[in-house]
Amino acid sequence: MSRRFLCFSVFLLLASVPCFAEAPGVYAITGGTIHPASGPAIDNGAVIIRDGLIESVGSAVAIPLDATIIDVKGGHIYPGLIDAMTSLGFPSASAPRRRGGGGGGARTPPADALPETSPSFLAFREAKLTDDDVDAKRATGVLTIVTAPSFGIFNGQSVALNLGGGTMESRVVRNPATQQISFNPRPAWTYPDSLMGVISYIKQTLLDAQQYSAARTIYDKNPAGYKRPDESPSLEALGAVLRRDVPVVFVADSELMIRRVELIAREFNVRPVIAGARQGYKMGDELKSLGAPVLVSIKWPVAPTSREDREEQPLRVIRDRQLAPTTPAVLAKSGVLFALVSGAGKTSDFVPGIRKAIENGLSADDALRATTINPAKIIGIDRQLGSLDRGKIANIVITDKPIFDKEAKVKRIFIDGRESKVTVEDEKKKPGGAGTAGAGAATSGIDGSWSFVVKTTAGDASISATLHVESGQISGTFSGDRGSGSIGNGTFDGTTVEFSISGRGKEEAGDWLFHGTLHGSNMEGTVATTLGTFPFTGSKK
Amino acid sequence: MKIVKEGVVCRESGVGEKSAACDIRYSAQDYPSASDTRHPKRDTRSFDTRPPTPNVRFKTLLATAFLLAATTLSAQDIVIRDATILTITHGKIEHGSILIHGGKIAAVGANDRVTAPANATVIDAAGKFVMPGIIDTHSHTAVEGSVNEISLPNSGMVRIGDVLNNEDIDVYRQLVGGTTTALILHGSANPIGGQSQIVKWKWGHPVSEWPIADAPRTIKFALGENPKSSNFRPPPGIPAQYPQTRMGVEEVIRQSFTDAKDYLARWDDYDARKKRGENPIPPRRDLLMETMADILRGKIDVHSHCYRADEIMMLLNLSDEQGFKIRELQHVLEGYKVAKEIAAHGVGGGTFIDWWGFKAEAADAIPYNVALMTRAGVLTSVNSDSGELARHLNQDAAKAMKYGGLSEEEALKLCTLNGAKQLRLDHRLGSIDTGKDADLVIWTGHPLSAYSRVETTFVDGEIVFDRQRDLAARAQMATEKKDRLKKEADDEAKNKKSGRPGKSDDEAKPEVTNE
Repeated sequence: MSRRFLCFSVFLLLASVPCFAEAPGVYAITGGTIHPASGPAIDNGAVIIRDGLIESVGSAVAIPLDATIIDVKGGHIYPGLIDAMTSLGFPSASAPRRRGGGGGGARTPPADALPETSPSFLAFREAKLTDDDVDAKRATGVLTIVTAPSFGIFNGQSVALNLGGGTMESRVVRNPATQQISFNPRPAWTYPDSLMGVISYIKQTLLDAQQYSAARTIYDKNPAGYKRPDESPSLEALGAVLRRDVPVVFVADSELMIRRVELIAREFNVRPVIAGARQGYKMGDELKSLGAPVLVSIKWPVAPTSREDREEQPLRVIRDRQLAPTTPAVLAKSGVLFALVSGAGKTSDFVPGIRKAIENGLSADDALRATTINPAKIIGIDRQLGSLDRGKIANIVITDKPIFDKEAKVKRIFIDGRESKVTVEDEKKKPGGAGTAGAGAATSGIDGSWSFVVKTTAGDASISATLHVESGQISGTFSGDRGSGSIGNGTFDGTTVEFSISGRGKEEAGDWLFHGTLHGSNMEGTVATTLGTFPFTGSKK
Repeated sequence: MKIVKEGVVCRESGVGEKSAACDIRYSAQDYPSASDTRHPKRDTRSFDTRPPTPNVRFKTLLATAFLLAATTLSAQDIVIRDATILTITHGKIEHGSILIHGGKIAAVGANDRVTAPANATVIDAAGKFVMPGIIDTHSHTAVEGSVNEISLPNSGMVRIGDVLNNEDIDVYRQLVGGTTTALILHGSANPIGGQSQIVKWKWGHPVSEWPIADAPRTIKFALGENPKSSNFRPPPGIPAQYPQTRMGVEEVIRQSFTDAKDYLARWDDYDARKKRGENPIPPRRDLLMETMADILRGKIDVHSHCYRADEIMMLLNLSDEQGFKIRELQHVLEGYKVAKEIAAHGVGGGTFIDWWGFKAEAADAIPYNVALMTRAGVLTSVNSDSGELARHLNQDAAKAMKYGGLSEEEALKLCTLNGAKQLRLDHRLGSIDTGKDADLVIWTGHPLSAYSRVETTFVDGEIVFDRQRDLAARAQMATEKKDRLKKEADDEAKNKKSGRPGKSDDEAKPEVTNE
């Protein structure tokens, strides 16, 4: 009783004083509107949590005597959101990566020669989640993620994690959650360096997995008289995919890519999940008949900043950009099982991206399902997570307004029945952050005039550029050995810089993609060109 | 001869200048108008008479417009009346008619010999010319991503058919030039490139409907400078790729067939042991080796990029030695030197009419090549290797009358029936005959005249380009574009006013990336 008394806290909208229990205890969350996701909203009910699990939910549940009462009067109670596809804990996909060797014989390299990832790659072992990553994610209401790297072709086996404290082992909800495949060509002169090569490579690897499984079956039954098959963790991992035990997330944004996925999935009889699906709005019925669930990335296409650039675009591109955010509404109408995921988007894009889907016709209820019970079903964790129901894991988010409202704030969160701190943005302001207002992390290091030298095989190319960063997006202009023009596709995350210039040199033409890191007033990295990839250095004037 | 890397730009710098055949590729994500501005199409021919590409933005727009219009057309009976019909196989019919039924040519002949059902759509083509759709046996249009899998000396496992892009605006532009069928080839970066794909330009249809169902499978081989990496080298840190010499090119091809024979033997052994009641471990299925085996079995036709007479002879001899069949020599600029030998092997030649000197190995190219090969009995076509040239292959065919004196009908065959034969599709393409596919082009004048332009293009009896429809759709498309851009700008202004900068209205959240 005394504990109950001590911890009793009244939920005040702006000044809550939550208590953080050492161990999951017994809580009764009362006074708010409960949105169970598995059924209609319940006013003035209670959610009872005991030892990390939901004990009961409803309008007339008895409050256990040993429960700490958490009165969230006027608030809203949700299951923790699930972001079923992120790359949290892994570096960016666009970082240039190259394998040591180039040549190779006329034979297809085996799957295990993959440079970065492979089907046996375990996100569980390799993810490096920082406290900042986790804090930021939880502040959006996402308490469970499925993460895997976005680079490589076989991105490896993703893992579903609760974002509570503790070890990686204690966070795991499902491991492996999925096998993930991206259609990323490798750098030139490393097989496969074309999209068609990537497709052949995926098919060959799955054929190899079939053969491996057949060989192992025969050998394990009676090894006498047989040459021992080589061990292959990658082909072993793909065995689970071919047996349909583990679903395969195929990253495919365009209608054409989704159709290509369909062909591969049919040929090898795997369980496909389509991820990205930017052009899903064109194919609601088709996706329904395909029967594959869809992870719709909320990283919606962005219009070019300048008016001239927009007007130069063909109608097809403009239309596509404007219709992409209608994809969730179209899929909901067609009855496709889909979830909203951040995909390649930033943590801070997630909730605004969901709002954009709602503005484009998705109902708020469907949006909630698409971030709770649907992703849980797709990943196969719906018996544990995804709704406020008896027996499920107590991942709970409490907000002051309906969760996808523009002004809604996440006030309190429970993960595995333990209350975790919601990091308020004011506390996150980094010391000495001289960045522009609203931009958050230090972005000022990039702003200004730069001199770049690119060491190409045809000699050094000098380029001057003026760069400006706003909200992580780089814009600017360049001039020098490749003519002059504006800078596009620029991003900056605090250390990694990426932008491209298009122009014409003596030997070549086309886009040059800069990828570098910022060190004070210097930058270094590589430039991908049609002639190959070259090192560059930059210094601020 | 085209080298395209990363879907951006093609260059071929054998003698330090841009090839005439070089053009810019767009991927689906690119913006044709913007790209065109940045990389104007180059043509280094000294007698370039073509006007600069006009108003590309406008074309892009109208092409998009037509995408909508085209899909609404039905396969209703159509009769084209009172045209001059260039049949290719049985001469010219003045005041002739063609009945299209079910996507096929149901009847062709003089006006009074062709009767049409009462409900047929009548197209009055008085004063106009009709010819079969142009066939381009060397295209790289409508490919998503790179046309080269550059990383291996033999990339025969990859397939152009896997990466077709039915939104490539060049396709529509080629329909405007009367081209209806194309062999889309892998690039020439390696001795054995990927498998190619024969398609019809069925603009507005899903990409799954583009491949011609009974067309043979094809593969690209390449000889000469490109496959020995003369024109593109890996960046520092990546070793040079085998082969680096013409000797090496030959050896890659020979070794690949030798390997394929070993591969087949392994499977034969497996099948035999199975038959004996044993339970052997199955060999690995290798997509590359299966491709090579299918070439040996005659299931895949070889189309080989080549320039010089010596390398042409090398490949002819190698095909005899290894027992595979070459269907068509591509470019074959020195074909006139060994035309008898090519003819004796029953091999076709698809070439440029008047592109020469754009690199060392093209130094001996002459515009009489087409006529000389034709006279020597080589089945010869003119083809494009260029999204631009594919828009006016009729003009290249016409030049063969000037250079070497081919007849009008022989010239027309260069871009129609001969290509159909090289693709082994002459039973359904390449001429205006009853029963063939209704791939037809209506021209304002004789198609061998530079002053003629296309009025209407049919593929499988469906109008896929029509100049009048196109003109009519432009205003509507312009309005939609204007409205969409305005709404977008208004929404952004509204968001700004409500204190939400730009696209991110999430000012409260810390800026932590997910990547």
